[in-house]
Amino acid sequence: MKVLSKLFALLLVLALAVTGCAAPPAPVADGGSSAAEAPAETSGFTVGVSNTLVGNGWREQMICAIKAEATASGVVDKVIVVNRNGGPTEQIADLEGLISQGVDAIILNPTDRDGLNAVLEAAIAQGIVVVAVDQAVTAEGAYVVTNDQVAYAQNGAEWLFEQLGGAGKVAEMRGIDGVPADTDRHNGFMAALANYPDIEVVAETFTGWDPSVGAQQTLDLITTQEIDGIWTSGIDYPAVEQFTTANLPYVPIVGADNNGFVKQLLELAGDGLVGAAVTNPPAIGAVGMSIAIDALTGNSPSLVTTLNPEVIATGDTAGLEALYAPDQQPGWSTYVNIAPYTHYNGSADVSACKGPGE
Amino acid sequence: MSTLLNGRTTQWQRLLARNSWVLGVWLLLGALIVWYSTLIPVFGQFQIVSISKNSLPLIYLAIGQAIIVIAGGIDLSLGSLLLLGNVLAARFMDEQSLGVVFLVAVGVIVGLALLNGLTGYVISISGVPDIVVTLATSYIWSGLALWILPSPGGGTAPEMRWLFTGSPSGIGGGYGLPILMIVVPSLLVYFVSRHTRTGLSLYAIGSHPVAARLAGLNVRQAKIVSYAIGGAMAGLAGLATVAITGTGDPRFSVGATATLNSVAAIVLGGVALTGGEGSVLGVVATAVTLIMLNPILTAMGIDSNSAQVIQGVLIAGVMMFGGLAILLRERRS
Repeated sequence: MKVLSKLFALLLVLALAVTGCAAPPAPVADGGSSAAEAPAETSGFTVGVSNTLVGNGWREQMICAIKAEATASGVVDKVIVVNRNGGPTEQIADLEGLISQGVDAIILNPTDRDGLNAVLEAAIAQGIVVVAVDQAVTAEGAYVVTNDQVAYAQNGAEWLFEQLGGAGKVAEMRGIDGVPADTDRHNGFMAALANYPDIEVVAETFTGWDPSVGAQQTLDLITTQEIDGIWTSGIDYPAVEQFTTANLPYVPIVGADNNGFVKQLLELAGDGLVGAAVTNPPAIGAVGMSIAIDALTGNSPSLVTTLNPEVIATGDTAGLEALYAPDQQPGWSTYVNIAPYTHYNGSADVSACKGPGE
Repeated sequence: MSTLLNGRTTQWQRLLARNSWVLGVWLLLGALIVWYSTLIPVFGQFQIVSISKNSLPLIYLAIGQAIIVIAGGIDLSLGSLLLLGNVLAARFMDEQSLGVVFLVAVGVIVGLALLNGLTGYVISISGVPDIVVTLATSYIWSGLALWILPSPGGGTAPEMRWLFTGSPSGIGGGYGLPILMIVVPSLLVYFVSRHTRTGLSLYAIGSHPVAARLAGLNVRQAKIVSYAIGGAMAGLAGLATVAITGTGDPRFSVGATATLNSVAAIVLGGVALTGGEGSVLGVVATAVTLIMLNPILTAMGIDSNSAQVIQGVLIAGVMMFGGLAILLRERRS
């Protein structure tokens, strides 16, 4: 009897294996046809996307912007997104999978500056266009598109210090200790601070880029000490909410281009809220797509593209209104149109999150 | 049992019955590889190397987990030990001579075997459940990894990368070495577990610790040995990781994912979580299968968010199927 049941088990496994083998005629045909078409010179491109942080709003918007730009371009047939949590080991496997699928270009948000170079250089050697967005890679021949994180903090901090007339007590609310973007931003903040000897940093916190943590820290700060201004690394609208909660007068505050913050800057201006939204767009993914298409169609874009953060502050109502997206969540990053790179129709297209043919 | 032992069943049938699950998972893997080859434009050396080398860390970790679970334990710190091995190698192999690199490699394997052997010792004298002790040590090892290498970096020798990936740059080599690096350690551990006195004692204490003790086996020693083998395999996984990526990465999430995958691989590979049952050979196939799921689902054009759900459903499905097989077997005998 034992033998029988074991044979039964074996047969089931076999059946599983065989059905697994026979079931998917459709995908096979799909793969076959796209493989048969040699990549055209001007259109019909397949672009692979590799991301290794799942469940993060900024990264999801980045992927949606890539898809939206691919659709808007009209020359990309297919976007293959490989999206899972992991480190360099997982990303190398994902990149090799994309190469195996015969993509024409790869857009990646890299987990490591140097660790992916061998696989990226192998892809480039096969004629695949490689574009690293958000964070840099050192692979030879790879296109790199980044937001200037040093300038992000420096521009915002300078606005704040000017707003305070060059003197006062400020809080620096950072992101995650040890993360390159946080280190760069801190350096930018310190560079701005060097020119304002009468500005005193009375508190430095790490929000972990977590809205609830940032909110609690803000509440603690404003209820326990005298603060004249706050610089945040992007946890902005939860911080503003704390002033309302504690029924305290607003102080000048620097945040990112988050929809909730832009809304507050517009609606609470009458109540005395003064602030600046500094752009750190996830739409950088769309810029990467645009550069990939340029490279594929022989327009030879430059290898390094750095987006300079813009400061859109109270007083520039038209600028803030242009950013504000009433249909989106508070965490939505509003700075989605990046001239001359993006071709889609604003937040609506990005939030639809449709790649070509979807 | 009677059917198995009486003369009417042939040697061949017995072998097949005993190894049906192992055979099944290898056939499944074979079918998956064939299927994958039809999903992508070209299937050649690049793809074989890619699959085999990328599977190495999980294969090693799963073999280590299998031995520990067979001996009646479970080790939630294996992923953190992988991190520790990875950052130790990346930190101390960076720009060193081949001799130093070799010594560091040996040091990582032996060192982690000793560390985890110590964990096994602590478990056996304290009587605290394995899951609690190894959860605690997982935080210790990953904390230590962050202390050794605070942010991703370091490096290794080209020879080291060549050994595991078949190429000094980590990509573009032949498939001989990666496959050899799968086969040799797997067969070595398989042989030790099935054909040595120590190995068989692992099955005995995992199956019934009291009976094993009464039969005169040194239960504590067997426990320590199983954890030491697990530690050594985690060290090897750390070396494979530094060979594949060329850097060290101390992030906790990487280790946590690796631990969970190692448990998934052994369960799918037919190792009973209750101990005393299963084979290292099945685990090798399921580790590769888990690594292959991602590229396959992507190649099928399945949306990346659904891919995770499908992966989970597949694991749950196969595990329930395994449970059903056991249930049927118990009912009939």
